[in-house]
Amino acid sequence: MTVYIARRLLEGFVTLVALSFVVFGSVHLTGDPARFLLPISNDHDEAVYEAQKKAYGLDKPFIIQYANFLYKAVQLDFGNSFTARRPVREILLERIPATVHLALSGMVLAIVIGVPLGIISAVKRDTILDRVCKTFAIFGMAAPQFWVAIMLIIVLAGYLDLLPAYGRGDTQGWLPEWSQIPDMIRHLILPAFVLALAIIAAIMRLARSAMLEVLDSDYVKFAQVKGMSDRVVIWKHAARNALIPVITFGGISLAGLLNGSVVVEVVFAWPGVGLMLLEGVLSNNFPQVEGAIMVSGAAYILTALIVDIMYGYADPRVRPN
Amino acid sequence: MATSDLVLENAQPQLSWRGRLAEKRLPWIPIAVLLVLLACAAFAHWLAPHDPTSLNVINSKLAPFESREHLLGTDVLGRDMLSRLIYGARTTVQISVTALALGAVIGTVIGLVSGYWGSWADAVLMRITDAALGFPTILLALVVVVIMNPGPPAIILAVLLTVWARFARMIRGDVLTVKGYDFVTLARITGVKAPIILWRHIFPNVANTLMVITSLMVGQIILLEAALSFLGLGLSPGAPAWGIMVAEGQEVILDVWWLSLFPGVAITVVVLAFNFFGDWLRDYLDPKLRRAR
Repeated sequence: MTVYIARRLLEGFVTLVALSFVVFGSVHLTGDPARFLLPISNDHDEAVYEAQKKAYGLDKPFIIQYANFLYKAVQLDFGNSFTARRPVREILLERIPATVHLALSGMVLAIVIGVPLGIISAVKRDTILDRVCKTFAIFGMAAPQFWVAIMLIIVLAGYLDLLPAYGRGDTQGWLPEWSQIPDMIRHLILPAFVLALAIIAAIMRLARSAMLEVLDSDYVKFAQVKGMSDRVVIWKHAARNALIPVITFGGISLAGLLNGSVVVEVVFAWPGVGLMLLEGVLSNNFPQVEGAIMVSGAAYILTALIVDIMYGYADPRVRPN
Repeated sequence: MATSDLVLENAQPQLSWRGRLAEKRLPWIPIAVLLVLLACAAFAHWLAPHDPTSLNVINSKLAPFESREHLLGTDVLGRDMLSRLIYGARTTVQISVTALALGAVIGTVIGLVSGYWGSWADAVLMRITDAALGFPTILLALVVVVIMNPGPPAIILAVLLTVWARFARMIRGDVLTVKGYDFVTLARITGVKAPIILWRHIFPNVANTLMVITSLMVGQIILLEAALSFLGLGLSPGAPAWGIMVAEGQEVILDVWWLSLFPGVAITVVVLAFNFFGDWLRDYLDPKLRRAR
């Protein structure tokens, strides 16, 4: 097990370094940040250009610049955002809580909706309820997130005026005041649901097929023959075993959620890291892009790592040798 | 006489071509949807009633079925929605097919090589494959766009980078099984060269898997392409692509709701059709892969 953890840690570390190299290298391939920063009227003034280059350390060799980038990246120091004219680090620290809130709420929704629906769907197999659940799952996997989001905004926020259409409301940082909690939740519902939709569908299918298999097994039949109530057999005996694959999948999809949120953040103007990343990409704002990608990449790799290690503890078959 | 004929017929149940076709349980509705999609893509310039990019401010924001000229209405700039949808099918097919074909070829070659040679080549290739699989797709796509600037090549490359690894993984697994069969060993003993063994003896045996993954991947690729277009990373704004059309509609959702509705429905229907078709193909070609109900 120690060997397994050490190997996974090493793999995660190598992926992260590779990511940093690709991100840093790609920014250097796309063009010259120093020239981009020049005022347009001054385009031909070479002295200003050289000074600008020196100020940002862009006159040094590539490998030194890369080492410098790594050294600073560890401290979340990515320089100043070109558009916002303040440190990327400050923006990151504002944006990270928003994305984490969104991803965690999405995960909670996916489990709270997906698991019971899957189990009920298996127990009431071939009834109308089962069919409705199955149809929902099929559509949940086929409909594009951004479109479902817009349709929900039109109906729930526009015509019915039940929920806010965009933004995070007055919430800022990690924990809002008690009085702001209802407002925070109202703003979270739509984005979290859209983010969770595909995972709800997948978890439901998984829970349903696992449950069907378990319900068919001897020990469940024995418990029924013994005269135990359906409620106990289903929720205590069968569901516990059926949930093992669901838990694995849930862990993997949490890592995906942290990043799948780019689209959702854009549609709902949710002030998170994903929106910051897209704004950076569309405006050639290199420090902001580097910061946002490195943070989301690191979060993704770290979450996948933790899930893998926990799963290694839970299921001995995953461990190598 | 009549009875003996009947007995004979029962003894040899020879199905007519209709019967054989029925036995395959072809998914007719998905196939019809896919044919319509392909027809729209191929003959967009004949099928579309109007130019998808010509502006017509006098007739802007027409509701669907309001005018016989513009069946599905017009957008804010008076462009015909139906024509834009038809041309959007062409964009979708062009980008998805290119990315998918490139991904399938590259992934298959890597899977074949990796599975057949084994040893260090396998170790290196599979490490790279794992890294590619472990990378979030949208993030990868954004890195690509940073390098290449928005446009169809950027989207194709982004999709390609996420797709090839899935092919390589699955094909390699199949090759490992086929490699152990006697006919491969015999071919090797008789001195057949490796490329010929791979092409003649191994590839035909993994072709089924290849077709199944391809058909199951199409839906995901279309969704990814639409999401990237929606984020403004693909064709320039105003071009007829379904993702862009949804994005244009978002700016005026309460005013002109049909702008976002129709392209989204188109994406969903097409993805559904591909998913159903892929499921059917998997069950038909490879019962082993069949999922639990």
